[in-house]
Amino acid sequence: MNFSKSRVLYKSSLITYFLVQLMISPLFAQRDTITNYYETERIKLPKGLRAETGGMDFMPDGRLVACFHLGEVMTYNPKTKVWKKFAEGLHDPLGVAAISNTEILVMQRPELTRIKDTNNDGVADVYETVTDDFGMSGNYHEFAFGPLKDKDGNYFIALNVASNGAGIRPEIRGTYDSLSREGRMYSCVPYRGWVMKYNVKTQKLEPYASGFRSPNGLGFDAKGRLYVSDNQGDWRGTSPLYHVEKDKFYGHVASLIWKKDFPRVKPLSLPVEKLDSMRTREAIAFPHTEIAHSVTQPLLDNTGGKFGPFMGQLFIGEMDYPRLVRLLMEEVGGQMQGACVAFGDGTGLLKGNNRLVFDKNGDLWVGHNDHGWVGDEGLSRIHWKGKIPLEIMAMNLTKEGFELTFSLPVDAKIATNPSLYKFQRYYYKYHRLYGSPKTDVADVAVKEVTLSPDGKKVSFKLTELKAGYVYDLKMGELKTADGKLLMNRAIYYTLNKLK
Amino acid sequence: MYKVVFRLFVVLFAFRSWAQSDTTITLQAITGLQFDLARFAVKPNQKVKILFKNEDDMAHNLVITQPDKRLPVVETVIKMGDKAQAVNYVPPMPEVLVASKILVPNTTETITFTAPATEGVYPYVCTYPGHGYVMYGAMYVTTRPLPLLATDPNIPPSRQTLERILSSPHPFPLEYPLLYRTFMPECSPAAIAVALSASHAYCFDAGKCYLRYAWRGGFVDNTDHWKGNGNALGKIQGTIYFKDNVTYPLRVGKADKLPEVDFKGYTLSNRLPTFRYAIDGVEVRETLKALPNDEGVSRTFVFSKPTTQTVYLVTQHTDGITYKSSVGKWQNGTLTLPKGTTKCVVTMQAPPAAQGAHHGH
Ligand SMILES: [Cu+2]
Repeated sequence: MNFSKSRVLYKSSLITYFLVQLMISPLFAQRDTITNYYETERIKLPKGLRAETGGMDFMPDGRLVACFHLGEVMTYNPKTKVWKKFAEGLHDPLGVAAISNTEILVMQRPELTRIKDTNNDGVADVYETVTDDFGMSGNYHEFAFGPLKDKDGNYFIALNVASNGAGIRPEIRGTYDSLSREGRMYSCVPYRGWVMKYNVKTQKLEPYASGFRSPNGLGFDAKGRLYVSDNQGDWRGTSPLYHVEKDKFYGHVASLIWKKDFPRVKPLSLPVEKLDSMRTREAIAFPHTEIAHSVTQPLLDNTGGKFGPFMGQLFIGEMDYPRLVRLLMEEVGGQMQGACVAFGDGTGLLKGNNRLVFDKNGDLWVGHNDHGWVGDEGLSRIHWKGKIPLEIMAMNLTKEGFELTFSLPVDAKIATNPSLYKFQRYYYKYHRLYGSPKTDVADVAVKEVTLSPDGKKVSFKLTELKAGYVYDLKMGELKTADGKLLMNRAIYYTLNKLK
Repeated sequence: MYKVVFRLFVVLFAFRSWAQSDTTITLQAITGLQFDLARFAVKPNQKVKILFKNEDDMAHNLVITQPDKRLPVVETVIKMGDKAQAVNYVPPMPEVLVASKILVPNTTETITFTAPATEGVYPYVCTYPGHGYVMYGAMYVTTRPLPLLATDPNIPPSRQTLERILSSPHPFPLEYPLLYRTFMPECSPAAIAVALSASHAYCFDAGKCYLRYAWRGGFVDNTDHWKGNGNALGKIQGTIYFKDNVTYPLRVGKADKLPEVDFKGYTLSNRLPTFRYAIDGVEVRETLKALPNDEGVSRTFVFSKPTTQTVYLVTQHTDGITYKSSVGKWQNGTLTLPKGTTKCVVTMQAPPAAQGAHHGH
């Protein structure tokens, strides 16, 4: 038959192709791509699982524990590749923390729940309410996130506000207050729009910080600072990441009514200038569509170098693009601020990167979700192949500009050419409307570029440097002397305070 | 022109005489040569839309026949031999009321028709050779309640315990008892739906700490709640036979004082939940079980310590339930549990009435 003949022909042409490739490769080196450094593997899912991943953690014995939108908590043994049910019947669980091989904490819509297998049959039989001391209006948008355990054993959780895309239910939980019922997103029962701390000593849930809208991600940095992400929307010109400290207000106004000693006024009736002066700005603004649409969970690289050169830095997930984002922060004037740069583009990662966790081997597990958003379903694992890519390791503010630190020495001739760098600055408005366009956009000229003697630091003097702007730097093709290419050539620095 | 006017007349007449609306029924061919619904009811002359889904891994069709004509139709198909395939295994005979095509796995066909004017039991069946002897159900054309499922001769004997079989939406089979925390109607947002079996369930309010209502005939359909943004409520499948219309049934110390409640979670024993909560600081464990033949539920209340105050269970004697208790005295629908009580079993009896003729669609 013709079919088999053509297959033979196809095979031989393939062999010729590879031979030619082999012969020309020393002359025309393969273009350096991210797949030389990182690879992404998709985890095979059990039949019948709708893998809208709400939470992930590792148990001490190395099993992954993950919770999903339809209320299941499953374990996965990476060695045997076996999935098993651990718990079921939960209400939209969006976070899990492993306590032991038989005990977990899960944040579900109505409560933080301790779930235990006490008879060692592998399936949970005890579901204890750790805290349900917060309100629910029954509005669908009142998602609950966390738990994040601090070094003293306390837990942070975060509570969404409601959406005016739907009303509230005839029966609610908690005291109703109509003061913040107006607006695109509202808070009409206690502590919607707050980050809360569950104090293990007093066993009480304490209000911690206000001003949140959809805080779908909590994490600590290497120094134990708490970070919480949020999404573009009302009072959110673009998606932000906040360094969260006790009693501070982070901009979304609906939650203010639950603040102790807050006057009985509608937050929406206060002048924007007043609200702006009350709020703490984001440590990082993620320019919308430039780098992210909807950031998720921040996670510290605590792998001790098993995941590449980024130890001590934070990664954060992103829903709408097949990427993660890497964060380069610094303390300036007593506040955290810094830059974000893409990570994982081109590794075959899916979209919907909702949850992140490192395993003991330093592989980064990504739980995907597409629920109600753009995204994907499933689980992936990103593995570092052992070689160092050319990446930006730091972006530091200086008196007159910025200094970039690279992972490898860069080619001096290319790197010192000022036309390689294009700086732009803009800001996002703080207002009641949904999102904000880039505002007061202007190019910023580079006065001077210098390269450090070790070839790893490039310093810029800029013609202008203003607080309250994002500095957007796009670079041409920067490389090392041996042809390694800069993997991500766009970086965005949120300048809240000048040096 | 004449035709149009005549049709309009018929429609108006139908509306006036039956005051009815269209109905949509989702019917699935599922694993084990069966339909997920063992029977369903429509009204005479009602416009019926059937969403027929093949969720099995082999081909099936759906044929509705005249009363008592299931086997004649099934046997005619077998006699047709090779020729049957070309007509989707639907013989051209007046005994066939309406039919789908042969559906390969994971496909859907919508069938629209007007229900017969004559009340009766119209069988539905898969006529794929060999299937029709076991794979069938009953379409009741009636305005009256259906007969008891357990003795319904028009459905397969294996289905006389279960009107609807749910396919598992999870990576594990459905097992009963089964519990879902979800949004439920007439409950606080912290609701727990529990199926004691596939056809007997209740709703426990984890916000307010009490049994809200119980129903028979199925469990809860979370399809709409799980898709989309989660705003939709779970849909009750079946008929509610008990609803607690008392503000809060348990009282401590005084029969007319509402207690402070605190939900503490639940434990599972062979999948059966025992709820833990406190009323005015009195710790309670409550377990609900089905009475024999699903004639209601028993509620076992266990107090962590012998009670030091009188505890009351307030019921409404117009709720159609016959209450009995292992401990205490009843007066005007209120049960008084003496100090020192550690355990009390309350049975709530509600004999199954003939089941309602409509489903919770
Ligand atoms: Cu069949």
